Amino acid sequence: MQARSRRFKANAAAALANPVLQANLRTSKGKFVDKRATAILELDDFEGTREAARQVRDHVLKDLDLWLERFETTATARGASVLWAKDGAEICRHVADIARRHSVKKVVKSKSMLSEEAGLNQALEAAGIQPVETDLGEYILQINDNEPPSHIIAPVVHKSLDEVADLFERAHKKPRKTDIAELTREAREALRGHFLSADMGISGGNFLIAETGSVALVTNEGNGRMVTTLPRVHVVITGVEKVVPTLDDLSMLMRLLPRSATGQSISNYVSLLTGVKQRDEADGPEHLYFILVDNGRADLVGSEFQDMLRCIRCGACMNHCPVYQTIGGHAYGWVYPGPMGSVLTPLYLGIDQAIDLPQAATLCDQCGVVCPVKIPLPGLLRRLREKQMEKRLRPLMERVALKAWAWVAARPRLYDLATRIGVRYLAWLAGGRDRIGVLAAAPEWTLGRDFPAPEGRTFRELYRQRSATVAK
Amino acid sequence: MRVGLFVTCLVDLMRPRIGFATLRLLEAAGCEVVIPAGQTCCGQPAFSAGDRVAAAALAKKVIAEFEGFDYVVVPSGSCADQIRNEYAGLLAAESAWQARAQALSPRVFELTDFLTRVAQVEQLPGTFRGSITYHDSCGGLRHLGIKQQPRQLLARLPGVELREMVGAEDCCGFGGAFSIKFGAISAAIAERKCDKAAATGADAIVGGDLGCLLNIEGKLRRLGDETTRVLHVAEVLAGDC
Amino acid sequence: MDSRQDILGRIRQRLGRTVDHQTTLAAAHPTLTSPPRPTIVGDLRQRFVDQSLAQSTTVDSVTDWQQVPDAVARYLSASGLAKQVVGWPLLAGHAWSAAGIEFDGRGARDGDTVGITGCYCAIAETGTLMVLSGPETPATVSLLPETHVAIVAASRVVAGMEEAWQLVRGERAELPRAVNFISGPSRTGDIEQTIVLGAHGPYRVHVVLVSAA
Repeated sequence: MQARSRRFKANAAAALANPVLQANLRTSKGKFVDKRATAILELDDFEGTREAARQVRDHVLKDLDLWLERFETTATARGASVLWAKDGAEICRHVADIARRHSVKKVVKSKSMLSEEAGLNQALEAAGIQPVETDLGEYILQINDNEPPSHIIAPVVHKSLDEVADLFERAHKKPRKTDIAELTREAREALRGHFLSADMGISGGNFLIAETGSVALVTNEGNGRMVTTLPRVHVVITGVEKVVPTLDDLSMLMRLLPRSATGQSISNYVSLLTGVKQRDEADGPEHLYFILVDNGRADLVGSEFQDMLRCIRCGACMNHCPVYQTIGGHAYGWVYPGPMGSVLTPLYLGIDQAIDLPQAATLCDQCGVVCPVKIPLPGLLRRLREKQMEKRLRPLMERVALKAWAWVAARPRLYDLATRIGVRYLAWLAGGRDRIGVLAAAPEWTLGRDFPAPEGRTFRELYRQRSATVAK
Repeated sequence: MRVGLFVTCLVDLMRPRIGFATLRLLEAAGCEVVIPAGQTCCGQPAFSAGDRVAAAALAKKVIAEFEGFDYVVVPSGSCADQIRNEYAGLLAAESAWQARAQALSPRVFELTDFLTRVAQVEQLPGTFRGSITYHDSCGGLRHLGIKQQPRQLLARLPGVELREMVGAEDCCGFGGAFSIKFGAISAAIAERKCDKAAATGADAIVGGDLGCLLNIEGKLRRLGDETTRVLHVAEVLAGDC
Repeated sequence: MDSRQDILGRIRQRLGRTVDHQTTLAAAHPTLTSPPRPTIVGDLRQRFVDQSLAQSTTVDSVTDWQQVPDAVARYLSASGLAKQVVGWPLLAGHAWSAAGIEFDGRGARDGDTVGITGCYCAIAETGTLMVLSGPETPATVSLLPETHVAIVAASRVVAGMEEAWQLVRGERAELPRAVNFISGPSRTGDIEQTIVLGAHGPYRVHVVLVSAA
């Protein structure tokens, strides 16, 4: 996907000024956040479960190469082919090769964020193959001129019912519907034929199970099952970090993933797929391919950012993020938005490609406390800020101001003098009022709010005057 | 109890009355309070911005100034969090300093936490009459467990009616330098906080961190709300308002 | 160097692994012998019924298999559905025609309106059916038709997914191609986060719980 992460500020400004997006963000926040809170109560011991999940994920990352080899062995033993892709371009090459080999003309896709990373749909079209998105949200985006998703679980969280109704009327050339169930039925009918006539299905993979060589797909709509049951070829595209050791680990993670994502106790369908159609079976693919993808992941192993690889793509972090809640996902400019996107985008695309993302956070930790695998997101964001400092990627004025503050703060007498002058100046700016309307020194503050005036004297000078006991 | 009072740079510069209120509360609780004259900043702005070197230098200064006290009390959750939870990690490369940070850490308390858990005050001088809705600042809430403590103390004032807002724990959008680097987003988040507070109809929004309070007050006034008061919990408990 | 070598090589290097490492993979993590699980209070079957209802599955109970065809026929009539069904060949031997049901034992095709399956086992914790694919139990039967009727033997109701895997390990030499955990009708919340039932899978799921089976 073409990255627009360098235009974060412009994107965010547009998002703040978009009334439809703002209305949608307000309603969706309540739904995801409140439902999750209720669902978590069903677990007797949420904190214990997330600690167990963290341990499972760390256990795998510690020996990731061996777990991948184990998966490759067990999957191959069941008739699957395991391919490896260094980057998005290689994903596209593999898929095109497979399609050619099997004379594929049409592909039906269930959700794969990696295919977004790789720009797979464009590559398929360029090779003369028709890709059809079947996840309702992804389908809506596809027929809207391949608009990018704004959330990893709910790709059209930014769209209103009216927008979808208009879109369907244009695309399907049927009378406009306004009832959500009717729109869904219309999408079902539009896609049904594609499921039945597609030569190849492409899916992501929520987890790869090393014990059995299986892929687990966590879905609600049934399109995941359609895409992996009906066509003759099935391709799974997923990141190398997605492997888990056993089926019991999957069971434990399944207590956290749906609850953290949408507030469901369980997703409608959990499909565990192993190998190809048996000789005497009526359904299932004849050919199964796994494409295990690096695209930046391998380099995080053993690094100070390794914790990010624990991610199980639930979306809880963005749902709870005050910044995401006000600007939505498109502003982040790439495949992954919110806190996890602010960590992954600079790591996968290059720190200089996403300077603002780690900075655009209050470090409130609303994300960290809900992450089902305890990724220390604020700490990782801060570490990215440190890297920007080290590489001198911050604006000069900002670096100077910070150094000046720290330098002065280390020198109490100088600090005393500077701050006494500073607060008197600010109080003068307020001109006798209790607030300052335009603060030239920090204009972004006063764009959207007033700056309350200081009292005009520092505490330390007043305290000195009152002659209290002073140490040293 | 010999308490070192770390007033915080925001209180020092913007609202000295919060510092005096804190002093009054600690003395009323029977503490001998010392206010080191050379104190400046806990270093969190540098830490959050990614300048570990500057943050570490300020950490050492604070440790040297305050490690001689039985307790260090801070009228701010985020500054108390910085000193108590982050200093040891910042100084990990220098074992002697790290040891001093670790020795200081358990003695560092946010104000309301100190008053309830350590000083265990029963009487409070506050005379506030009216309804209050409390804003839970992020650092104090999520990293120091500050939740019930301010509410318990406020409930002791006979004139106070506590009203919980939906989203009391939601970030207000201050985030330190975030408020001036991404002012539009910050103000939008602040507006949501103000809406939630306004829904309670409370006379005052009270909190434990001045950064949050300046942010909320600034947004309220720009929205045209001239009557809702925005107060630090120390001011309310100490009888300043 | 091919991508496999490149990727694994970089991972090994970043993990500080020497060329002739002798690491054996421990599938069991030392600290994770039994992770926390919610306790299920009360009868497993009742829990399964309650959770199924919460997932918008409808539930009927009969005592034994003899009563199943009539129970299904009643459901189809009450729902205004025709009594032409496709179903698992495994279930073809039951007395369907006596109950007025035309039962065709095969995989489903587009246009089939009702699919009847059994289930390998059912999970009480979440009201979930576990179905295994196979020549006698094609996966399409619970997927393509708009109505899915599932016959569940009460003796095959287990507490959680862990117990379901235990059963499979004990009874099957290997996993079938597709294990599907089904919890109610298909649904989507993609439009304005409003959940609607009936996306690409079935619109309705009806369970007939057989208590003596």
